[in-house]
Amino acid sequence: MTIRNTLFSSFSALAFAASGTAAFAECADPIKVGVLHSLSGTMAISETTLKDTMLMLIAQQNAAGGVLGCQIEAVVVDPASDWPLFAEKARELLTVHETDVIFGNWTSVSRKSVLPVIEELNGLLFYPVQYEGEESSRNVFYTGAAPNQQAIPAVDYFLEELGVEKFALLGTDYVYPRTTNNILEQYLTDNGIAADDIFVNYTPFGHSDWATIVADVMALGEDGKQVGVISTINGDANIGFYKELAAAGISADDIPVVAFSVGEEELSGLDTTNLVGHLAAWNYFMSADSGANTAFIESWQAFAGEDRVTNDPMEAHYIGFNMWVAAVEAAGTTDVDAVREAMYGQEFPNLTGGTAVMLPNHHLAKPVLIGEITADGQFDIISQTTEVPGDAWTDFLPDSAVLVSDWKDLGCGMYNTETETCVQLTSNY
Amino acid sequence: MRHVFLALIMLFGATLAASAQTLQPIIQSHVEEIASPSRNSVGVALDDLVASGLPQVTDFLEQWVEKNVWQSGDGTFFIAAETDNVLTLTDIDTGEQRTAPAEGFTQLKPNGGVRRVIGTALVQFQLSDPDLTRRETAVASIARRPEAAQMAPLLASIDGETDAALKTRKIQLANLLSARFAQTPTDRIAAIDSLATDTSVEVRAVLNQILSTSSGVALSEPDSNTAAIIDPFLEPDVSYATLVEAGLAPARQTAAEIKGALEANIVDGRIGGLPLVQMDNPDARVAAYGALAADGKVPELITESARDAALSSHLFFELYDEPNPDITQAAENALASVETRVAAAQTVDLTLDALSLASIFFLAAIGLAITFGVMGVINMAHGEFIMMGAYTGYVVQLFIPNYTVSILVALPLAFAVTFAAGVVMERLVIRRLYHRPLETLLATFGISIALQQIAKNVFGTQARPLTSPDWLAGAWIVNDVIQISFIRIAIFVMALIFLALIIYILKRTRLGLEVRAVTQNPGMASSMGINPNRINMMTFGLGSGIAGIAGVAIGLYAKVTSEMGSDYIVQSFMTVVVGGVGNVWGTLAGAAMIGFGQKGIEWLNPSNTLAAQTYMILFVILFIQFRPKGIVALKGRAAGD
Amino acid sequence: MERSFFAKNPSALWFLLGLSLFTIVVTILSEASGTALISTSFLKTLGKTLCLCLVAIAMDVVWGYCGILSLGHFAFFGIGGYAIGMWLMYARTAEIVVTSLENATLPPTPDEITNAIGGQIFGVVGSSDFPVIWAFSHSLTLQLLAVVLVPGLLALVFGWLAFRSRVTGVYLSILTQAMTLALSLYFFQNDTGLRGNNGLSGLQNIPGLEAQSQATVSLWLFWASAVALGAGYVLFAWIVSGKLGSVIRAIRDNEARVRFLGYHVEGYKLFVFTITAIVAGIAGALYYPQAGIINPAEIAPIASIYLAVWVAIGGRGRLYGAVIGAAVVSLMSSWFTGGGAPDINLGFYVINWTDWWLVLLGLTFVAVTLFFPKGIGGLFDLLQKRKGDAP
Repeated sequence: MTIRNTLFSSFSALAFAASGTAAFAECADPIKVGVLHSLSGTMAISETTLKDTMLMLIAQQNAAGGVLGCQIEAVVVDPASDWPLFAEKARELLTVHETDVIFGNWTSVSRKSVLPVIEELNGLLFYPVQYEGEESSRNVFYTGAAPNQQAIPAVDYFLEELGVEKFALLGTDYVYPRTTNNILEQYLTDNGIAADDIFVNYTPFGHSDWATIVADVMALGEDGKQVGVISTINGDANIGFYKELAAAGISADDIPVVAFSVGEEELSGLDTTNLVGHLAAWNYFMSADSGANTAFIESWQAFAGEDRVTNDPMEAHYIGFNMWVAAVEAAGTTDVDAVREAMYGQEFPNLTGGTAVMLPNHHLAKPVLIGEITADGQFDIISQTTEVPGDAWTDFLPDSAVLVSDWKDLGCGMYNTETETCVQLTSNY
Repeated sequence: MRHVFLALIMLFGATLAASAQTLQPIIQSHVEEIASPSRNSVGVALDDLVASGLPQVTDFLEQWVEKNVWQSGDGTFFIAAETDNVLTLTDIDTGEQRTAPAEGFTQLKPNGGVRRVIGTALVQFQLSDPDLTRRETAVASIARRPEAAQMAPLLASIDGETDAALKTRKIQLANLLSARFAQTPTDRIAAIDSLATDTSVEVRAVLNQILSTSSGVALSEPDSNTAAIIDPFLEPDVSYATLVEAGLAPARQTAAEIKGALEANIVDGRIGGLPLVQMDNPDARVAAYGALAADGKVPELITESARDAALSSHLFFELYDEPNPDITQAAENALASVETRVAAAQTVDLTLDALSLASIFFLAAIGLAITFGVMGVINMAHGEFIMMGAYTGYVVQLFIPNYTVSILVALPLAFAVTFAAGVVMERLVIRRLYHRPLETLLATFGISIALQQIAKNVFGTQARPLTSPDWLAGAWIVNDVIQISFIRIAIFVMALIFLALIIYILKRTRLGLEVRAVTQNPGMASSMGINPNRINMMTFGLGSGIAGIAGVAIGLYAKVTSEMGSDYIVQSFMTVVVGGVGNVWGTLAGAAMIGFGQKGIEWLNPSNTLAAQTYMILFVILFIQFRPKGIVALKGRAAGD
Repeated sequence: MERSFFAKNPSALWFLLGLSLFTIVVTILSEASGTALISTSFLKTLGKTLCLCLVAIAMDVVWGYCGILSLGHFAFFGIGGYAIGMWLMYARTAEIVVTSLENATLPPTPDEITNAIGGQIFGVVGSSDFPVIWAFSHSLTLQLLAVVLVPGLLALVFGWLAFRSRVTGVYLSILTQAMTLALSLYFFQNDTGLRGNNGLSGLQNIPGLEAQSQATVSLWLFWASAVALGAGYVLFAWIVSGKLGSVIRAIRDNEARVRFLGYHVEGYKLFVFTITAIVAGIAGALYYPQAGIINPAEIAPIASIYLAVWVAIGGRGRLYGAVIGAAVVSLMSSWFTGGGAPDINLGFYVINWTDWWLVLLGLTFVAVTLFFPKGIGGLFDLLQKRKGDAP
């Protein structure tokens, strides 16, 4: 152990304790939490915030006495937005640093890169971002939204509340929009929307030439149906998209746009006066009115800076970390299998009110919020559901409808209810 | 006559109001629908409110839409404004004002759908309101949700309309409404005919709604307004599904159903007499199913021929929902005329988009046309100069809040900054590598990575806002099809200006003469008293400076990130190469080819923008193979090597 | 013959000796041997570095010896990875699917099996149909053939078109870069059928070797990479040392003159371009099972430029230079960006190497191009010269 450390300390990642190294005497082996978020490269902007969130949460926990009477040590590594590097760093966290749990990843592809390593070495990963579902790994807890916790309620809102009859599904060309749109297409068809009334378009990352697409969307209204846009456009591309929308004078009253990847952080790069009334669906908005949220925002701004905003994946980490702490206390150990068992049924109050529950399919039950963009770059919450249980396998695709995930009783993440067999124990990657 | 009638209604309403005391109780009787309204249920409450005829209703509804209505803990509604957690409450009926802490009050937030319904309800009050904005809101509400009931008030309001533009709009809307809702077919046909020259989305919507159809199937053609007879064999499975839905045929068994039936009928390891192990063969499954069907255990398998027989014995058709064939015929004619115009307009719009894209490519590449095209220096950091220009714009906006002024400052400043950067780079690096072009490529690439990373370290990886002034924010709208944002027009104009400027500098000025002399024969040029070092430095600075200005323009229309340069660099080089090196006109031709080509491919496959980019690059690669000197090839000695 | 080759190329002999020694040392220190002084994740890094060295010497031959600055060889590397990745994914998934279908009531039909495999592989991108491009993915032999043939044919066609039209110098570089961009965009599209941005993942789990631990599998892949690097080095050393090598170098120095001497210049260039593309493909096929995932970002134009950077820093026109460049720069990169390098506190500003490494690399590279065109390899010349000068 020591030899290995000295020999390879030069190649090992930066490790530092979040709040000094005041480990208690009885904790010869400190509890280590790995943080696997990109600190450089294209994803750094989103993921650095989550790294800081983790450091804040760990510092708070340590101030409150740590866990199992031990201080928690954060091990931060930088996978640099490089997908293969995620796998390498995950292996390093588990074998070299011997972390007890990892909080990390943002993009789906990075999670798919890490999955085989986590499963091989029986690690534990908390994944905090909304994603496309169709996955349930024994070793991953998904604290972000599954499609039925974000996309489906948003589409219901469009159908019922806004009376949208014609849909434009605009997305960046990668896995999350592809799968989500696939599910939505099926869902809309099931709800009586004709295939001709669903317009799908994919653009590359960072796309900037939106004039034609916006014109296409406007032209959708030519049969007199109410048009709505479901946007899974990612990152920077949103800026050009919203600029073009504003230039074309499309107001939310004419063609509402609901986005699944635009949060407070993304809006800070935009002048939102022309976007007032357009929508976003998340499980958390910074504007949520609750005591817990006010306290969270206060401690975050004290930790990271006065003008910093909070967002949905941060809440996911907040819930995930606190649940993990509770599960470790309940299990009395950080052993992965014991903690996993203790996680099921863990409850923790949401920042938006209500209680999040960890389900046996490794997803959370969380409320779904729909917010309207306001002129100051925030969201005005206009709809909040009760807690929706996350569904690993969507009910709206025939292949997935027969699958369930239940790690508690069935011990299987991909269980076929028709044949009553476990399709596989490892996950798809 | 109509006016008198309306006035009577108003009078009647007013007397009612006097007897029915106040608005609050009426609202309270719908407390649920108003506190948490939904598009489908709020109508009842609205009808009651409007029917009360109270003068406060309009104000209440308007404030509700603006999210200014609050509900206290005991359920009473107030119009309120919040400042620092303190509410200034206005009583709905008395208008009495008081303040209270926001604790215990909930703000009503009607969603977009509800707001639209409220808007419709408000129409009748607002159409003749003295306030222009209110009238405009009302007209916009009608346009969003046209209803037969709105026709009368709309027509009534036209005469008294004082604003010319709004009056035109009202007449237009009235026309649209009469096309759908007028009493007599003659009126409707007249209105429909008048729409034939309009390409707006609204008109198409009206015509399409008149022409809405529902499909049906029967044994013979029904006696109603038939839109089309459909050949069921175009999409046999879809047609058969309609047949099944109409209850005219049994559903076909799906593979899963067949499988389920087989599994349910396993007897002693055999199905229909066939051993289970053979069931990995699809033919054996069909045979087994056939055997089961013969025994009457499962329904007969509907084969393809059975399906086809069912299809051919039925007639598939589409019926207009509108029973009057004269009206649908008029609408068909009008729509055909509209569609032709729309198609023409779309071509124009596509051309505009292509022109705009071409001008963006041109603007990104024009600096390269000088450094690479004229001087022959490969500058891989060109994209980073674009980025530097854009960040200069961003920084300027941090200090100068007025967008117009800041853009006017940013343009020359971006030129200055990148001009300086270009000169420094030329002196330190490029000058030492004039005869090693491949190494210039690599060295400038090294600078490119360094600059990009420095930008990341300084400004962060997040996209930075570069906001255009208000007069550039909108779009030039010819009609609903042809429109282009002002910022794109500005980029186009800027591209033209630069083209003219560069042509002028190269062809008409002393500097241009010297540049051309130095590029063609440095030795001879220097013996004529020209200082080639100075000229190279100036030329390179000029090319870089233009990249900086391009950066401001590109940042305005898209985004400012540290990676924006690399988005354009390969494309820019291709633009220069494909156009023909050594000639600014060539770059123009190259940009036009790539811009129009890409839009053309996008038009062929609109759902996949990425494919258009891929195929465009492939096309350019092939084009260069067959015309290595580019579109505008230099001839003779100027062609160099 | 054998002896004369090594006699002509003493560096090849030294290189093979060094490589063998390195392999043995790493094997002894690896987790699989029990000593576990080298962690499996570091072993994977070393194995990957060997593959990068292999593609670097291919780049060196095509650029340093033949003068074609190809900005497309990392795309060939990626294609090799994709070719082997398709088989790895298919075979691994097929095993899972066949096992899970074993307890089905009815024995599955071939169609059902294929659909189930398709559902597993393409489910993540919302599809379950097998694209045409996967037609041979069930066969290891055919996919191995694809590792060689696809980059080879692509290079052959592209090279033939380009050299035939006498596209040379920077124009050729730009053209190869455009090719790389087109390829990466093509792979990026979901419609291509290679899982778009997600790419192919879980490649470290080799079908048939599930029983072995990753420590063992990684060691085997490390050995394979070492053997490939050794073989590649000898092959290229042989190519550049003979008469062929002289012609190739002559083309680099003055293409027109060689053509006037009656040589079929295009043929030679095409040969070098194609053979190096094939070796790049093989290197990629060995690299990605160790990396575990391949996706279009890997073959973006920037990667090919980095390849040129490695070769330039290591020293062009000498094979060991390319090896040194690739190994040093890629290992330094992971050291600096991995947070291994200590921050430098300037008092008013702290230089954090995670952020500033690329700036350092970029500027170093400019400096190398300007002042040390021979790269690190040039140091050996200096040493030798000094030795020669010494009395």
